[in-house]
Amino acid sequence: MSYQVIDVLGDVGLRAEGRSCEECFINAGLGLYSLITDLNLIEQKETKEFELSAETLEDLLVSFLNELIFIFDTSGFIGNSIEVDIENNIIKVKIHGEVFDPKKHERRLLVKAATYHNLVVKQENNHWIAEIIFDI
Amino acid sequence: MPKIDGTVRIDSYRIQIPKGFVSGMRTDGIVYVDEILEEELEVDSVRQVANVATLPGIVGNSLAMPDIHTGYGFPIGGVAAFNVDEGIISPGGVGYDINCGVRLLRSNLTRKDVESKLEDLANLLYTHIPSGVGSTGKIKLAPKDAEDVVRKGAIWAVEQGYGEADDLQRIESNGCLEGADPDVISQKAYERGKAQQGTLGSGNHFLEVQYVADVYEPEVATAMGLFKGQITVMIHSGSRGFGHQICDDYVRFMLQSSKKYRIELPDRELACAPFKSPEGQRYFSAMKGAANYAWANRQCLMHWTREVFLKLFKLSPRELGMKVVFDVAHNIAKEELHTVNNKKMRLIVHRKGATRAFPKNHPELPDCYQDIGQPVIIPGDMGRASFVLVGLEKAMQETFGSTCHGAGRVLSRNQAIKQAKGRSIKQEMAERGIIVRAAGKETLAEEMPDAYKDISNVVDVVHNAGIAKKVVKLKPLGVIKG
Repeated sequence: MSYQVIDVLGDVGLRAEGRSCEECFINAGLGLYSLITDLNLIEQKETKEFELSAETLEDLLVSFLNELIFIFDTSGFIGNSIEVDIENNIIKVKIHGEVFDPKKHERRLLVKAATYHNLVVKQENNHWIAEIIFDI
Repeated sequence: MPKIDGTVRIDSYRIQIPKGFVSGMRTDGIVYVDEILEEELEVDSVRQVANVATLPGIVGNSLAMPDIHTGYGFPIGGVAAFNVDEGIISPGGVGYDINCGVRLLRSNLTRKDVESKLEDLANLLYTHIPSGVGSTGKIKLAPKDAEDVVRKGAIWAVEQGYGEADDLQRIESNGCLEGADPDVISQKAYERGKAQQGTLGSGNHFLEVQYVADVYEPEVATAMGLFKGQITVMIHSGSRGFGHQICDDYVRFMLQSSKKYRIELPDRELACAPFKSPEGQRYFSAMKGAANYAWANRQCLMHWTREVFLKLFKLSPRELGMKVVFDVAHNIAKEELHTVNNKKMRLIVHRKGATRAFPKNHPELPDCYQDIGQPVIIPGDMGRASFVLVGLEKAMQETFGSTCHGAGRVLSRNQAIKQAKGRSIKQEMAERGIIVRAAGKETLAEEMPDAYKDISNVVDVVHNAGIAKKVVKLKPLGVIKG
């Protein structure tokens, strides 16, 4: 598991890592989902797919995470496995999961949005790091 | 010695952040804190007050209230006014939860009437008020309804039978900002808002049954219909996913606008556009729509609260007497008339985690509060207290008619969870005579009283600084958390 919570006073932040940019984005997505509920209780019953583009990788990360929040907020769909393909600041995403059921799934945080506050997406040697703060 | 290098204490309740604290500041920053709260000040939030002072068209000082903490772009507790002709409007100066706010209801019931039924009351409210992650409301908005909510706000809710026309006069701006345009709001926002009208949300949002514990200004309290021992209900909620999506959409949109109008940003979350530009007006109109959604939301939540009380106590609406004291916005930008250096100016006032606090005789106040001033409702944490204050003339002179909005956190959510380990917050609260119901397993730990500043300290700063006056203190009896 390559994501961890960053302590932020008012809200919550995540630091995600990966051997590739894709892995880093996947971990950021899974980290976000883990803020909402316990990933172990999610069954992979459905797959959702979407595609996004942005000017920079930083913008792409914010848009990607905000899309996950949007999908959860509108359909309740949440996953515990994510596939991504990133090329020329275009991301193709596949999520495997199911619709959130308060009787079955733990209710953790209601995440409103991914923000640009202290946003980091960087490569160090062959290692990718992303830091993101969420408004909750 | 100032806690943060470069700041200067002006008096017992204010510190100054002089021009030059960050480069490009057009004016000074002022933070309302006493020496106790200054100890808890974060450098990041002070820098955010200074960053706001760099934005074009700022009038007066860049301000922050004593419940200040670090936000995005603007700090929480931030107040800043911009000239409508040369100034900007920024979604970061309003926040993600547009028109998050509080409504206070009074009743004819006293503590004695309620205490024996408190458990039943908490359970009934918990089942009737949709709350928590993944909850949807009883209202499903068809596209036409959503447009009506955007245009009419709380008036829409009253038209649908949620509450009475009489409620509207005691809501800031009568529960509706004119000029909201449904067409400048994205389909994504409508999607998110479709099933969330009439829902409480989560995090620090709550519905609380309280009693009036102390009365400081008997005459003002009486004018608000408040008396010692009386049962009140406080509802803290906002525009839910609808407002969050509008903020998200417009922060991205404004990043482009800032480039277009060559506005230098010390922080991307300060993305903005000139107020009078098409982009600025577009956001303002969308923001009004979200503000109206939030007022409709609190109106619906209040209606179901009244129904629960009527059912449980088997009273008629007249006997119950559950009336709105006032409903205030916390996260909003409003076009207002202010006097600056003896000159009347139209300003776009941003209040992010701050409450409007207009004094008596202000033309925007309803008739019932013309002689006393605007009720200011300040929620604390779920264990200690909340306060009702009233706006004072000095707020018009110093803070564009604004004051604080709540306690502000001292512990991060993680720290709170760690400190609560091995403890039952629910049990601890029960021992203090407070019944809590929460949807999330960790919510109670994150929201425990120790996670917040002592609201009494925060309120004392604005009271002693003379921008709002304490009227009554409210103590919690039953709390519903998302």
